[in-house]
Amino acid sequence: MTSKEKQKMTKAEIILQVIIFSLGFFYAFVYYVRVPGVALQSAADQLFTYLTSILTAAFAIGIINLTRVHANNVKNRRPIWKYSLILLVSMYFMAVASVIASPFSLDPQSSVIPGAVYAVFFPIWQFLYYDILVSINATLFSLLAFFIASAAYRAFKARSLETSILLAAGLLVMIGQAPISNSVWPGFGDVRDWIMAFPNTAGQRGILIGTALGILAFSVRRLIRYPWGR
Amino acid sequence: MNKKALASDPRLIYVLLVLVIVVPILSHAVLPVPATAPTRAVYDFIENLPLNSLVVVSLDYSTSTVPELQPQATIVIQHLFLRALKVLFVAQWTDGPALTDAVLDAIDKENKAYGTDYATLGYIPNTATLIGMTADIQSFFPVDTRGNPTKNLPIIQEFPAAREAALVITFVAGEPGLSLYLQYWQSRLNMPVAAGSVAALAPGYMPFYNSGQVVGILISIRAAAEYEFIEHAQYSQVPIGLSGAASAMVSQSTSHLLIVVMIIVGNVAYLVNRRKKEAAK
Repeated sequence: MTSKEKQKMTKAEIILQVIIFSLGFFYAFVYYVRVPGVALQSAADQLFTYLTSILTAAFAIGIINLTRVHANNVKNRRPIWKYSLILLVSMYFMAVASVIASPFSLDPQSSVIPGAVYAVFFPIWQFLYYDILVSINATLFSLLAFFIASAAYRAFKARSLETSILLAAGLLVMIGQAPISNSVWPGFGDVRDWIMAFPNTAGQRGILIGTALGILAFSVRRLIRYPWGR
Repeated sequence: MNKKALASDPRLIYVLLVLVIVVPILSHAVLPVPATAPTRAVYDFIENLPLNSLVVVSLDYSTSTVPELQPQATIVIQHLFLRALKVLFVAQWTDGPALTDAVLDAIDKENKAYGTDYATLGYIPNTATLIGMTADIQSFFPVDTRGNPTKNLPIIQEFPAAREAALVITFVAGEPGLSLYLQYWQSRLNMPVAAGSVAALAPGYMPFYNSGQVVGILISIRAAAEYEFIEHAQYSQVPIGLSGAASAMVSQSTSHLLIVVMIIVGNVAYLVNRRKKEAAK
């Protein structure tokens, strides 16, 4: 701990620290300990509901901020103002279309919004979502294949014993995962399964346990003392 | 451009990759794929579920991973509809409800009635809902995605709590996803959990499969093709090509083999250069 962190906490910080510790400890207690006849879980669930409310409010702040930044870009005709305009129109139109006619609709049974409006918006929403959004996102994700191919060719080199083992394991899993490999030699599938079941599982368990212990240590540290602005 | 620069030009790799992916897809060639143990485990578990069991299906991915996970979801959900099972659809990702509708449009629903045999509950906004619905679905989902009060749905009247499910299967592209079901549904309630995963995440899920916490895992689009062949063998009315995965297997093979060849070529070139440098010293 640095000398700065050793500074005395203010009264407000102590109150906040007590709240953080109490809520954090309460939630951990409810997870690990069950007290018969006491509805602790429902209280913990209620805490999660408050968390959702806070996150929703944060989301709203994000939308307001995004709108302000891009509206200013458009208003002041900044160099990228056309993109800002496209962003604002896309965001608000998709939001309105989703609220009116989609699986996220606020009024799916047309109790308030007239059926004719729903009939107009639903095909538009379907086109925007399934034909535009899905296609664009899938395309961007698929582009990863090209970068992986190029990166594998350049970087996946047997520079040392460790990298050679990694390289051999990677190649064998990749070959075993290619459906045609079974026609060449059925054993490729068994080799892949063995690598995934034993060396991979051992490594992943080590990572998982290490990460869990790290999170535990970090959480305890945060519950005991939050470094308020220091 | 000299020979060395051409060899290291990524555009050459990109062109080759496009060719080995596009040509097999255009040829509509289908390659039979033998089932791996994790895929077979999911199929067998569903096939052996008692009649009228409840299955919760969670589509926990976004539009970017549709090519890899939608075929899995399509073929597994088709299997669920072929059997006399009740299915509740939820989603931990906001795109899930829309992608659920797309899957339901793609499959043969085998005269199953909405509300009685299946229902779409929609988005699970937080962990409280995920935990709470195990005890009481109506409180956390007062209406389904179609606006029907869930208390009026026969499937909810029959199964008012998700803890009565015989299986939860999540198609997962990240967090929130499998881990929450393992933490709150499997470890606390001992509910069987299965997963359909993108290839990149599957190695991280293998410890849970090997420990028996996950009954089976579908790994990447290949598992969808494996599942399709198993399902077709049992239920001939399910056509090969329903999920689109079977026809992608040739291009997956050729693209994997191209990358393997590129890695080998890259390493041979690296070793030759290293030897030359060592000899020059």
